[in-house]
Amino acid sequence: MKHYIVRPTTGRGWGLTLAFVVLIAAGIWPVIGWFNRACVVLGLPLIAVWAYVIVFACCGVMAIGNRLVERSCDDE
Amino acid sequence: MTSSVPIIMTLAYLGVAIFLGLRARTGRSMNSLEEWGVAGRSMGPVTLYLLIAAGSVSAYTFMGAPGWAYTKGVAVFYVVIYLSYLALVAWYFGPKVWAFGRRFGHVTQGAAIADRYESSLLGALAAGVMSIASLAYAVLQTIGAAYILHVMSAGRLPIWVGVLVVLSCIALYLYASGQRAIGITNAFQGVLMLAVAWAIGLWASQRFGGGLWFGDVFTTLRERDPAFLTLPGAQGDMSFAFWTTSIIVSMLSFMPPVWTQWMSASSARTIRRSATWLPSYYVVILPMVVVGFIGIYSLPELARADTVALELAMQQMPVWLVGLLGAGTLAASMSSCEPFLHSVALSYAKDIAQPAFKLSDAVAGKLARRLLLPIMALIVAPVAIAEPSNLVMILLVGLGFATQVLPAFIGMFFWTRASKLGVLSGIVVGFIVTLLFTLVWRNPLGIHAGFWGLVVNLPVFVMVSCLTRPASTAVITRFFAIAAPTRSRLNAESKDLASRG
Repeated sequence: MKHYIVRPTTGRGWGLTLAFVVLIAAGIWPVIGWFNRACVVLGLPLIAVWAYVIVFACCGVMAIGNRLVERSCDDE
Repeated sequence: MTSSVPIIMTLAYLGVAIFLGLRARTGRSMNSLEEWGVAGRSMGPVTLYLLIAAGSVSAYTFMGAPGWAYTKGVAVFYVVIYLSYLALVAWYFGPKVWAFGRRFGHVTQGAAIADRYESSLLGALAAGVMSIASLAYAVLQTIGAAYILHVMSAGRLPIWVGVLVVLSCIALYLYASGQRAIGITNAFQGVLMLAVAWAIGLWASQRFGGGLWFGDVFTTLRERDPAFLTLPGAQGDMSFAFWTTSIIVSMLSFMPPVWTQWMSASSARTIRRSATWLPSYYVVILPMVVVGFIGIYSLPELARADTVALELAMQQMPVWLVGLLGAGTLAASMSSCEPFLHSVALSYAKDIAQPAFKLSDAVAGKLARRLLLPIMALIVAPVAIAEPSNLVMILLVGLGFATQVLPAFIGMFFWTRASKLGVLSGIVVGFIVTLLFTLVWRNPLGIHAGFWGLVVNLPVFVMVSCLTRPASTAVITRFFAIAAPTRSRLNAESKDLASRG
């Protein structure tokens, strides 16, 4: 059998993969370092605000993903 | 505090949990693995949302998180981020795991590993070692639950009584209703925790910050101790490296109860829909973290940081709010303890006893239920009562090991060439490195020990896989028709064309 590594096969699949990678990068170094300041925004420390931006961005990306997946059920 | 109101409210919560858990089985036989193990794969999106959310929010939210805020500061928010990433993991992998279970009859993680690598030994090994982390986690939650009963009863209920009370309650409904009990009690516990956390947080902010707006708490903190608002935290021990690698390692730990939760869904779409909104639940952590920050000035001489919320409650809050905190914290402990106990019993019966003694599915199903009781009575209860000082260390090593099973999942979802020996070699070297970097040289360069384990594990896994025999074509085709449907279809079409031409 010819062996392979699974990867996205359509533009939508690649777009979604990229969005997941960007979300994960947003929560770790070096990106988190950009928000590492002792200031209070919207009543919360900047890192806390950024953490909750990531939380709701995750919801948003998955909601978009649902629409894409439901359109083409077999995208990897 | 001498009032009986807090303990009455906490025990009332226990009564409701038992009632709901026992009722969950209505009209179903719980002797089958499909029913007791994965609730007949019937859970809808709302139940699944609360099941996964409450399962991932442990006593840590009500004790550990305020404690971290109290000692380290904003470093505590790494938890919110990694829990959101776990939702991404559930969204991507959950539907595939569900499809494996549905089509191949898996009810445990070990069964999926054994099937993919055609090795019941590998499945049993993965299940056995994963159970170390799971049991350590369950013991920690039991200790937390017993401590809450001790505090709420003003010391009248000793820890050992608390352990027996909590485990007996869980045993009662888990034995009777299995995964259905976990689903319904977690739904109740999830709603309760959210309500309690916000009630406590808003009350504390009003009382100590001068209003419901958390901003006043943090503005004061910025002026007096700005180190609490940045990394590496007030104690200087949460570096960017540790923050980053902790998030990655936590995200890549596919713990067995989560696998079972995914398999309990009514459809792949249900998992996607509940995972989509799952991160929103983690607003539950914010108000409790604020309580921890408030404790920095209102309880400056605290001996144990993780008691900050409880101490603040006992000293300042009205009794009904103390009772709510007791019920909420107990709910958090139990909602995390139940799935781990259930999955260990399920794994021991399905992944270890069934292949070892050639048991039928019916016998393995009965055995899983019955194993629950000796696991609680002979392992969890004695260890929880003994409260070993190195339990957190056992848990850390266990979780580090859990991450080392990653190659098994890479071979299941991404790489057809992954072999049984490749996975085994990766696990063994990864575990040794994690063990050494946890016990001997702790987190070198400020990097999580489990991450160091992966750094060695993954290359070994790839090399050994390339040098050894992969699983049979039939198994690969079967698995990757689900993991990579488009690719599998294209392969089938090209083979078809070649045979015609």
